[in-house]
Amino acid sequence: MASDPKGSQLRRILLIFFSLSIILPLSSPSPTMHNNNWAVLVCTSRFWFNYRHMANTLSLYRTVKRLGIPDERIILMLADDMACNARNNYPAQVFNNENHQLNLYGDNVEVDYRGYEVTVENFLRVLTGRHEASVPRSKRLLSDEGSHILLYMTGHGGNEFLKFQDTEELQSHDLADAVKQMKEKNRFKELLIMVDTCQAATLFSQLQSPGVVAIGSSMKGENSYSHHLDPDVGVSVVDRFTFYTLAFFERLDMYSNASLNSLFTSYDPTLLMSTAYYRTDLYERPLNMVPVTNFFGSVMKTIPTDSAYPGFLVAHASEYATISAETETARVVLEDEADHSKTYDQSEKGLQHILDEWLKLLEGKLGVKDPEVLVAYGLGSMVLLLTISTWLSS
Amino acid sequence: MADETSAAAGTSTETGAGTESNLRTTKPGTKRLFLTVSVLISFLVGAPFLLKSTEIHRSPLPSAAISSLSDHLHSNPPSFPCHFQAIFLSPFKPSDSSLSLSVAERIRAQLSAQSCGNCNFTVSVTVDSGSSCRHEGDAASAACLWECGGGGLVDAIEGRDDQGIDELLLSAVNERTGGCAGRVYSVFVMEGRDERVVIGKHRHAWMVLKDLDDSTSVGSMIGTVFGDYFMRGGVEKGEYIPVGSDGNVVLSFSLLNSNPSDWIYDWDFQRTGEVLLAPVLEALAPVANITMESQVLYHAPKSSISYWDEKLEAYVVNTRDLPFFVNSNEWHLDTSLSASGRSKVLQFVVYVPSASECPLYIRTPEGEISKTNAFISPMWGGVAIWNPHGCSMQSQGIHLVRDVLPPQELEKIIEIFIGQLRILFGLNSNYVEPSPTFKFLASEKGFTNWELDLLYRQHTCFNLLSSLSTLQSLSTLVESLPRMIVMDEIGKQVELSLEAANLAERNISLGINNASALSSIRARALAEDAFFHPSIMSISYSSMEHYFAIYMPFFAPVSLHVLLAAVKEVKRYFAERSKYLAFRASKLKSS
Repeated sequence: MASDPKGSQLRRILLIFFSLSIILPLSSPSPTMHNNNWAVLVCTSRFWFNYRHMANTLSLYRTVKRLGIPDERIILMLADDMACNARNNYPAQVFNNENHQLNLYGDNVEVDYRGYEVTVENFLRVLTGRHEASVPRSKRLLSDEGSHILLYMTGHGGNEFLKFQDTEELQSHDLADAVKQMKEKNRFKELLIMVDTCQAATLFSQLQSPGVVAIGSSMKGENSYSHHLDPDVGVSVVDRFTFYTLAFFERLDMYSNASLNSLFTSYDPTLLMSTAYYRTDLYERPLNMVPVTNFFGSVMKTIPTDSAYPGFLVAHASEYATISAETETARVVLEDEADHSKTYDQSEKGLQHILDEWLKLLEGKLGVKDPEVLVAYGLGSMVLLLTISTWLSS
Repeated sequence: MADETSAAAGTSTETGAGTESNLRTTKPGTKRLFLTVSVLISFLVGAPFLLKSTEIHRSPLPSAAISSLSDHLHSNPPSFPCHFQAIFLSPFKPSDSSLSLSVAERIRAQLSAQSCGNCNFTVSVTVDSGSSCRHEGDAASAACLWECGGGGLVDAIEGRDDQGIDELLLSAVNERTGGCAGRVYSVFVMEGRDERVVIGKHRHAWMVLKDLDDSTSVGSMIGTVFGDYFMRGGVEKGEYIPVGSDGNVVLSFSLLNSNPSDWIYDWDFQRTGEVLLAPVLEALAPVANITMESQVLYHAPKSSISYWDEKLEAYVVNTRDLPFFVNSNEWHLDTSLSASGRSKVLQFVVYVPSASECPLYIRTPEGEISKTNAFISPMWGGVAIWNPHGCSMQSQGIHLVRDVLPPQELEKIIEIFIGQLRILFGLNSNYVEPSPTFKFLASEKGFTNWELDLLYRQHTCFNLLSSLSTLQSLSTLVESLPRMIVMDEIGKQVELSLEAANLAERNISLGINNASALSSIRARALAEDAFFHPSIMSISYSSMEHYFAIYMPFFAPVSLHVLLAAVKEVKRYFAERSKYLAFRASKLKSS
């Protein structure tokens, strides 16, 4: 009998667990399909001595394009003051290696936010999608619930912040807040954050949203170092973390399936001179099962079309056979309607329109062609009226 | 001053006596007290005005209404009233009188697992064969019951082709089911020699069966037509909603010349395409506001590899290479002028291969050559490959060919695009008939009326749920940032969105599908406008610390002084007053 209450309790627990396991799958949303990749590449520094940050960003841009993400799905934010800088020995060329083998600025670089447009506000607007209505599509992150987004940031950073263009900072809680709002609106399926700054790992320490994996080039209290100095250009041309990332990707092409785990474990702390720290607690898939092309390349799910919609042409022909003769008149009617709508628009302008009409009427009556002269006449008559009335009233 | 000196004099004269040192002969003055206290009181009176004038303008959001509507929609998801009626035009004697029940059973089995867009159906069976007229099952209302007297239909149907029968039955349905014509799905059952089932392009189907005695098989056939097709559209997979959040879709048609040095093709899309596609766009108006544009591009090679196949004497692209077909670096498809920030653009591409890879075919996973030479990518669009005629023989051609895509070829390609559009919206491009006797009529609108109903239901449901969840997120966000400015525009958009959502829900229960779809699009667009309003930026709202930092430097020192002065003055006044009262008391005693 002593074991009975325990047994009944066990049964109750099992029942609850069982019912939960039935209920939970019903309440969880069906998993969405991954159908496109986006990249947001941000270089937060300006001035000549931060050459390496722009070279970092451009190298990653080139890699991501090579692996298949098109310009329409890349948001590139650069201060863009290196290539044509007066101090640049190689005008219009940006290198990431002292062997100068690759000109990163060579061709087909589409910068979406350049110069002083790279601000914390614009960055957060890109992430959350809250733009003014006039912002063109190329400057928006048009991701949906099936998108994987790669967010790469480089520049000068510190404990829980990232410095933007030497005037403002992006705090880690701002970034976490933006990511939370993105997740609420289902603007991404998975997000990979790569940060190459000093104390990079602190920037994503406040993230809470699921589906995010983040890697930083250094931990709290550590600096990230540049790789080498180019004596010709006169400044350091690439950072260590990005250099080894690029070395990893040079071996890959569109078809490879190297995993994210191999990328993350390829960083050697002695070579980096810092610890590349990554957090996967918000990410459900195991890293060794995620190919890097899930973020860095382009995925297009394709389904061959079995058949057309047969009978459409026949149905169309039979339905509209008698109307073909009327299409000419229909076209004319449409044009008239277009004119009507134009005049309707004009009348809607209201006061402005009335004033214009009045002015035209006056011009006609007085025979004066130049509206300026007309206005001068009007002002003169007003002044005259005023003086007369004051003289009369005094 | 005078009081003080007199008080001092008073005390000095009295100190010699030693009995009462705290006496004064005159009433203490009230001027200073009045001054300090009035300043303090003015500060206190003005404080609410200050708070009111520096208050953050927050337009009130109807959070309670949002959450109640959201809970209501989640607990009972919108279900659309569909009425299915089976009409027997030949004499039918069921072995057991529960045909409607078995039909309902079959339909219920087809109810999809996802709860959105399902039909709340009723089934009725009518036997109308000249002499007898029998009803069974439940009708949605008396008006939706089939009026008997259609016995002459069977004869009228004899000898007509399928299109004619479809039109005839349409007029019969309009005549005999009165007010419910747009909300009732009908199946006409007849007896005949050649068994066939034809599903028309309006909201009815007819079947000719050899023997009507086996009521279970008849019931299951009828149930298949209702459940599999009319209710579910013959699809198993989940829904695709390729509509932008502002309710706009842009169909962008591009003709890509892979290598212009081989040949250049142009097309007259304006005339052919717009004429063919206008009815489709009109039919889909309650689902999205669709616009079309077209362009011709040059130097647009594909980025995947094709292999020469000896047997076919053609170049073949495997299915496995299709994901890499679209060369996004060279294909500049994203040049839409009419697409605003939140519209959805669907790309339809006609690819003309170069001489070095012509003719080009796609090989399906089964190893066959694709009949359409086309593929789609969900939520992106579709690609169709068109091989110029005689291109294999023209591989040595040096002279440049400039030609126009023949209109008949363009029409065939548009047929493929319509099929792809159907797949992109979640239906089948063509129905794989379960048995040779099923036939589906095609509609010039690209979608039959019953398919359109299905789309309206799915989209209405999706839009409603999406707009409610957006509004819910917005109200949570606004509540979590108590010092964020909420502009009037946002409040108005939220109100309008709620209104449209309520209207859509009411229309759903009334069964007016296209009105509810339109209202639901509006609700979603307004909700998204409110959520993505550019003024909701967390870094630009003034936090409590900001507020303090502005006002503290002035008010803190000043208020400290005022308070101290008032306190000191009140204390002094009461001290002097007690001295005066003591003096008065002593005078009374002595006199």
